Amino acid sequence: MTFVQLACQWLADTAIGTRIRESDNLFSVIETVHVLGIIVIAGTIAIVDLRILGVLLTRLSIDAVLAPLVKIAWLGFAVMASSGLLLFWSEADKLYSNPAFRLKMLLLLVAGANQWAFHWSHDSRMPAGNAPNTVPRWARFAAALSLLLWTGIIVLGRAIAYL
Amino acid sequence: MTLLQACEWLGSSWLGTSIRTSRFGFAVIEMAHLLALALFGATLLIPALHSFGVIFKGSPPGAIARDLRTARLASLGVMIVSGILLFADGPLRYYGNAAFRVKLLLIAAAVLTGSLSRFMGEAKFAALLPLTLWLSAGVAGRVIGVL
Repeated sequence: MTFVQLACQWLADTAIGTRIRESDNLFSVIETVHVLGIIVIAGTIAIVDLRILGVLLTRLSIDAVLAPLVKIAWLGFAVMASSGLLLFWSEADKLYSNPAFRLKMLLLLVAGANQWAFHWSHDSRMPAGNAPNTVPRWARFAAALSLLLWTGIIVLGRAIAYL
Repeated sequence: MTLLQACEWLGSSWLGTSIRTSRFGFAVIEMAHLLALALFGATLLIPALHSFGVIFKGSPPGAIARDLRTARLASLGVMIVSGILLFADGPLRYYGNAAFRVKLLLIAAAVLTGSLSRFMGEAKFAALLPLTLWLSAGVAGRVIGVL
């Protein structure tokens, strides 16, 4: 057993982990909150991505769409991460070896890095205005990648239950 | 033909049988249902926040809801089609499920209030009512699997 595996086993065996796992409805309730959090973060990020790709909200500039929706996405992230942590807590030992869970965490990290890279590039060289052909290729690439990554995250999240 | 007979027919039809006997059919349709749900949720939440003056303060009332209308209807379409396919997997399993029946009623009420919302005077109320009904429909959807 590796150290991480032992830590996961210990986590699942704690009072809180056991309580969530053995309760009649607690796991389902937290799971529902988790899905709502994912809807808020993935949905708003998808809207931002689609705006960058010129699909919707083109009446507004990218910056005008980006600023408020990123705040909402962070709110969704807080709900998704805190409820996700509780779900992980109760099943850490099983999730440790679940390939869908591992890949989901990896995609979350890549999505975070992609978002970070986008903002870093955005602050230094995104042109102002909302003319569709001024959106640079790197921004379109980051938006398309983000859509793919979040699709993968949702698909893998559901796949955890099947593996 | 009664509703129960219609459910029996759908379950034993080519569609119901293909989904039920397929290895990943149900899971794949479920994933499409969830993906559409994420986009749909955002197309409801963002106009609601706009009508409450939280975001896009420079845009006129109703403008954001109109801008996101195509995305909202498209994602709703995917959810309805995938939802019917999920139902066809085992209609009798859902027929007697109280949460499923409540969910259908909530969806009907949400679609009705949502499509009428443009005729309602107060923009805030008009946005809040369908959002609350859709949220309740989502929770009822989760309860289907618990009952």
